[in-house]
Amino acid sequence: MADDAKKQEIFDKMKNGVIQYDEDACKEGAQEALDAGLDANEAIFDGLVAGMEEVGRLFEAQEYFVPEILMCADALYAGLDILKPHCKQMDIGVKGSVVIGTVEGDVHDIGKNLVKMMFDVAGFTVYDLGRDVPLDQFVEEQLKTDSELVCLSAMMTTSMVGMPKVIEKIKAKNPNCMIMIGGAPTSQELADKWGADGYATDASNALKEAIKMVSFLKKLRDEKLAKK
Amino acid sequence: MDSEQLKAYLKTEGATIVGVGDLTRFLAKEITHLGRGISLAINKGLTQDAIERLLKLQRLTEAWLKDRGFRSLSVPPDSDRIKGKYIARLYHLVSHKTAATCAGLGWIGKNGLVINSDYGSKLSWATVLTDAPFWPDSPYMESKCGDCDLCVKYCPSGAVQGLLWSRQAPEAEIVVYKRCLSLKKKRHVFEEKPNCGLCVTICPYSRKKQVKAKVRGVKTGS
Repeated sequence: MADDAKKQEIFDKMKNGVIQYDEDACKEGAQEALDAGLDANEAIFDGLVAGMEEVGRLFEAQEYFVPEILMCADALYAGLDILKPHCKQMDIGVKGSVVIGTVEGDVHDIGKNLVKMMFDVAGFTVYDLGRDVPLDQFVEEQLKTDSELVCLSAMMTTSMVGMPKVIEKIKAKNPNCMIMIGGAPTSQELADKWGADGYATDASNALKEAIKMVSFLKKLRDEKLAKK
Repeated sequence: MDSEQLKAYLKTEGATIVGVGDLTRFLAKEITHLGRGISLAINKGLTQDAIERLLKLQRLTEAWLKDRGFRSLSVPPDSDRIKGKYIARLYHLVSHKTAATCAGLGWIGKNGLVINSDYGSKLSWATVLTDAPFWPDSPYMESKCGDCDLCVKYCPSGAVQGLLWSRQAPEAEIVVYKRCLSLKKKRHVFEEKPNCGLCVTICPYSRKKQVKAKVRGVKTGS
């Protein structure tokens, strides 16, 4: 029991570190988790991600704004950098690699980076193409890496118009690939029209969607563990 | 809300000058809720030591504001050199120069730098944005350089154009930075920002303290 209490204490430290955007606390917590021989995946999900879930809630409640979110993300990464090398690839039935980028003509990438972060913590292999990415590069990268997920982001209507072309090309070559679009001008309607599998309008929604997805993976993992 | 208490506190902690500006109309959507910019400077070049002192002042400012229930966002003095951090994405949305001119701490001189009436351009700047409803200090709207064109004459690469800054024409190319950089690259290998600094040292405002000190027979620190 004493071990469980200690474990919770370490996880709480990381969780609160993320919430209070305290990079040092996250680093310390992550190191303590490793020193105590705790499972790195568990530390990420029950420590860091748990913190980010709370941050998502605070953001929705308008207690946190974009600057706080970004500082929380920095804190999360500080812990993640320490834990990542000790992670086992999660056995959850998805292979887990994703191509992500902001489309040509657009340099706004805050939302894209937040989504990328959640894929990182979920143990996905992330191929980040960065911002202002030529449309064909998404198609090429998807083929090259055989990723099952492609995320396209744009903040401006003018750059968003490139999205359907990419979706069409990818779907033509690889109909099973899932595509998420994100950014202020996107909507469910557009996603349906263009044949995208999901959408998120802004950093907060992208974060929510990504958290939802990662929470779902977490649930899968827990169910799997329960079965054992 | 009066800012005098915070200003006095920061000065006892080592800030040379402190001002509060209304930045509302200069901020991007992500940070418009942080409409007041606390601009602070110390009269030293941007050395590692100066950076650390400014960072300490920023932490004190954050704590002071937090104690009173306000949000803040610190933009570090060397914000352009910080890479790979999420929060660094927001740094380029805030300019130390804009914060300083809005806070009434100086105008943009012909040398393209903030000129303070007491210290000239010999200052290193940091900015803390906050949602605390401080009454802003009165901003500079125009250059006070007048007819003085020493920095234009002395610039070795002809980068300084001799234009008078005005808030009405913020896009004017006061200094052709391409020229300024190219000369430096030929002469030295710089690990950090190239800095010839003639336009700083030649400015009469920058020399003001030195001259006064010399008159009094006091040796000035660098």
